[in-house]
Amino acid sequence: MTEQDTDSFQKMWSRRGFLSEIRAAWAISINVWKVELSYPLSVLWFVLMPFLWFIPMLITGAAVAGGSQSAVLNDLAGTADWITYIAIGTSILGLTISIMWGTGFSLRREQNAGTLETLMSTPMERSTLVWGSMLHNLQHGGLGVILQLGAAMVFFGVTINAWGILPALGIIALAIIGLQGIAFAVTCIVLLAKQGWMIVEFISSGLLLVAPMAYPLSVLPPILQYVGMASPLTWSVEGFRGFLMNGLAYQGVVQVVITLIVLDVIFFIFGSLMFRYTERYVRAKGALEQF
Amino acid sequence: MTLVETSDSVIERENTPYLSTFKPRMMDWSAAKVFATKNLRIAIRYPANFVIWGILPLLWYAPYLLMMIAIAGPGTSQSFTQLSGFDDFITFSVIAVFVYQYVDKSIWSVGNNFRWEQFSGTLEPLFVTPVPRISILVGAAFSDTVQCTFSATVLLIVSSWLFGVTYAFTMIAPIVVMLTMMVFGLYGFSFLLAGLILVFKDPSVLTELVSNITYVLSPITYPLQALPSAVRYAAVLFPSTIAIIAIRELAITGLFQPIVFLQAFMALLGLVIAFWIIGVLAFRWGERWTKERGSMGGF
Repeated sequence: MTEQDTDSFQKMWSRRGFLSEIRAAWAISINVWKVELSYPLSVLWFVLMPFLWFIPMLITGAAVAGGSQSAVLNDLAGTADWITYIAIGTSILGLTISIMWGTGFSLRREQNAGTLETLMSTPMERSTLVWGSMLHNLQHGGLGVILQLGAAMVFFGVTINAWGILPALGIIALAIIGLQGIAFAVTCIVLLAKQGWMIVEFISSGLLLVAPMAYPLSVLPPILQYVGMASPLTWSVEGFRGFLMNGLAYQGVVQVVITLIVLDVIFFIFGSLMFRYTERYVRAKGALEQF
Repeated sequence: MTLVETSDSVIERENTPYLSTFKPRMMDWSAAKVFATKNLRIAIRYPANFVIWGILPLLWYAPYLLMMIAIAGPGTSQSFTQLSGFDDFITFSVIAVFVYQYVDKSIWSVGNNFRWEQFSGTLEPLFVTPVPRISILVGAAFSDTVQCTFSATVLLIVSSWLFGVTYAFTMIAPIVVMLTMMVFGLYGFSFLLAGLILVFKDPSVLTELVSNITYVLSPITYPLQALPSAVRYAAVLFPSTIAIIAIRELAITGLFQPIVFLQAFMALLGLVIAFWIIGVLAFRWGERWTKERGSMGGF
């Protein structure tokens, strides 16, 4: 190794700080895009996915409602426009799944590719690996949200309140914090159980079931309503839909935002601590590369 | 290898009747049986999976049922009754969810069977064995059908209890006939999928795509009449559509109409034959294509 190489290595190794971590996270995000785009079917799936998830709901809703208005939904949620209610509510389904599965399993993917230990030995924070994957999934899932909402507006006559777009984006930003906490917890399951997809499937499907994406919480049994209220996803969906349907100020907006912030703090701290201790535990046991 | 070892292996080969009498054939039932037994043995090692797969789909389908309740109120809607001829959309949907489990299994398990073997590192050894590949797929399909029957039954029992729905138990014999025909048809479909997965490798996206398209086409939470007319024609070309409609009619009404049943049976028979021909041909093409490019073990 030449003196120049040693210098650049020393420089790289000593390069710490927030900006360096962001650069590393960005590089991971771009890397995942490159891998995904190298499979042509993945691109096709990415475009079709939001429609294929939404269309069965639309057909089912049309079969039972018999029109674009629902008096029952009006009584339960304060809006009779069930298509807009469901289109906006389910539009963040893809984003949620991307973050929970894509980010939660990012370390497992690297492990399968044989690059986990190499990445772990680079001079970046361990959590940056997960943040980088989250950054990618935010872009991936975010584009899906835009695609589904755009298609719903063009093809199904869904209308959104333009004043609500910016605050809805703010809700997405808050949602990311809580979901990142869940993604950290999922990563811990993956690190410990390796093939922990079944546990993750139960957690993610359970969270999606109690989230009011296509129906208000009031149709759930009482015990599930309580579970739903303790999930940041529930308040993210309520806030996102509330702003996009009603604009800047609507009844209950303060409660939604404050509850979401409180849950974000709890989930993020809990998830980060879990990740920190699990990652240390797994490394101490030398089980990082075990399958 | 020494001369002695070589002569030993020659003697051993001559003493192995299977290899000395081996002739290529279309189907090897004993290989299918061995493969099915192997897969079932592995499945039995994880008994919790039967229960988990009986409950997990409930989490996927419950949102549809809850959405229907949120839009139309509990259980019934005038629009739905006019469109489908059935009063209760929950009873209507739960039985279809049960039948759809076989479709899901044919896509995710049988279609992906060689991909799982590839992950286990056993695909190439399997492909050098002197048995027709179709017999391996038939064995895998049979073991998956057995596992699916257990899980789907758990799902039906749990869903019926949770949503308070009941079905005509007296119609179990014609329902089993219809299910069997559908499952045979789905075998052909899964062979087609297995061939495509050998070619495209990345199974998750292709499987997701196929799975979601078949879900949209299948009249599970809505009647066939709710689909646009062009899509309706595409839907009836898939074996599960006719089976879902026939089984639902039998299970809910409890009435056996011989002519309607025979019509559905004959239509399914036609689809079974068509899907087996298409499936076997597609799989053989996929296998040849992959072998020619030397990408059998590639990811």
